[in-house]
Amino acid sequence: MSLVAKTSYFARTALESLWRSPFIHVVAVLSLAVALTGFGAARVVASQLDRLVESLSGEVELTVYLKADSSDETRAQLVTALEQRTHGKATIVSPEQALARLEAQVPGVRALSKDNPLPWSIEVAVPPSARQAQALREVARKVEQLEAVEAVDFGEAAVDRLEGLAFALRLAGLVVFGLVFLTVVVVVAATLQLAIYARREEIEIQKLVGATNRFVRAPFLIEGALQGLLGALIALGLLLLATHVGWPRLVALLGVLDAVAPAVTLRLAGEVAALGASLGLVGSVLAVRRFLRA
Amino acid sequence: MTMCVITPESRRRRGKGRWAKQRPVIQMFHVSKSFGNDPPTLVDINLDIAKGEFVFLTGPSGAGKTTLLKLIFLAERASKGQVLVAGRNVARLRDSGIPYLRRNIGVVFQDFKLLPRRSVLDNVGFALHVVGTPREVVREKSLRTLKLVGLANKAHLLPPKLSGGEQQRVVIARALVNDPAILLADEPTGNLDPALTVEIMDLLCDVNARGTTIVVATHDATLIQRYQKRTLRLEQGTLVAEEKGARAAQLMVQG
Ligand SMILES: Nc1ncnc2c1ncn2[C@@H]1O[C@H](COP(=O)(O)OP(=O)(O)OP(=O)(O)O)[C@@H](O)[C@H]1O
Ligand SMILES: [Mg+2]
Repeated sequence: MSLVAKTSYFARTALESLWRSPFIHVVAVLSLAVALTGFGAARVVASQLDRLVESLSGEVELTVYLKADSSDETRAQLVTALEQRTHGKATIVSPEQALARLEAQVPGVRALSKDNPLPWSIEVAVPPSARQAQALREVARKVEQLEAVEAVDFGEAAVDRLEGLAFALRLAGLVVFGLVFLTVVVVVAATLQLAIYARREEIEIQKLVGATNRFVRAPFLIEGALQGLLGALIALGLLLLATHVGWPRLVALLGVLDAVAPAVTLRLAGEVAALGASLGLVGSVLAVRRFLRA
Repeated sequence: MTMCVITPESRRRRGKGRWAKQRPVIQMFHVSKSFGNDPPTLVDINLDIAKGEFVFLTGPSGAGKTTLLKLIFLAERASKGQVLVAGRNVARLRDSGIPYLRRNIGVVFQDFKLLPRRSVLDNVGFALHVVGTPREVVREKSLRTLKLVGLANKAHLLPPKLSGGEQQRVVIARALVNDPAILLADEPTGNLDPALTVEIMDLLCDVNARGTTIVVATHDATLIQRYQKRTLRLEQGTLVAEEKGARAAQLMVQG
């Protein structure tokens, strides 16, 4: 009975406080929303970057050029070996096929020479798991040493650059995000403290009539968590707006084709909500502590 | 004069109070209190208040009456000496134990300490919520206590809309709503007219008759004269005398 009475008292007190001094709480909720939007945006951008790296390096294939005297049998063996090693899909390209391709890109090439100067080759589409520059380099080095192989080409520099870029972008994003987040945490704590400062008289009197620190603290914690959740709701609204309305406009404007649309996943929504609640909670704990002494 | 003084009922209860003298509920031994480097506010206080007793605490402004009361409900801690409440040494009480001490002590604050933005009813109910009383019970008890101090009709107003005397009675209601074992009243009649003073004092006598130990800090000589109670007199932080009503009042008037 007493527990129920207390819980309902805490909830009522928390809601009442939100109702009584709306301005200060709006400020707290908005600063929380800013922090959470930043967090959500960083997560969306990071996953976009991942996808970008994935899709771009998907175009980079491993091409094995064979010596002129390679037999059908060697080629077949090599295909099996390459597919095993990279877990990818290997295709044999005959000199004739290669020339046809070149002709398609540069019309008139075929007429330049009577003989076909192009070698037999094997093209390997590398699966995502082996797409890292390091792994590809390893495979290329091993294949290069084989008897029948003339040379190996796999756009090493491109993969390297792409990975480097993605890493740099992610690092920069993390640093910027960290700074913004830190600032907002300070703002949130300060705002919550202001909200509590407005009620220090109430806290003092509660303590004089025999309230425990825990009793005084409880409504503020509920309040903080509620504010965090409200902030999360606003942040998710902004993120959905950005991904569903902002992104298509941007695509139309820049004419970016084939770009994967960013999405606010259920998991991200959960993360933002959890972060919001704990941010509000921790902020309140820190803010109320000052007023509980004596 | 007042019911409190003349009825055989009250005489019987006073008898009970005397019997209870063997069971002290508030004791101080060599208690001193200083604030920072200022000259001490209280010096070497020794006192002994029995369960069920009604005691006046008097003395000129600044003598240390409020400070002495604060030592009992631990709004301040003694700098030296020991304060015992219900046999427990509160000087050694940890901060986490203070709330449980305070739940047994009703305090009428000299400066009221009412929440200006909460209704009179909520202000009184505050003391009950703190101990986890269900909402309906809080409401019912608060209203009943407000009726005792004659303010049932003002339950839903905000304190600033009340007169000084009315606010004072709200504070008294809040102090009583918990049925505390001890009531510390700091100038509880300071803002009341003579008729209301008598009414409130009679209420306190009633509460005292039901077993609550009461300490009333006051300047009011007529009060002390009318209600013949043990009177502790503070002067510049020391307990200078302890006498029965009439004599104490006489001393006060003479100055
Ligand atoms: N928190 C404090 N810090 C510093 N000095 C204090 C504090 N509280 C009280 N004092 C000093 O202690 C002395 C006694 O104050 P106290 O309030 O106990 O007097 P009082 O007898 O209640 O007076 P009054 O009749 O005017 O209410 C005063 O001189 C006051 O300045
Ligand atoms: Mg005083």
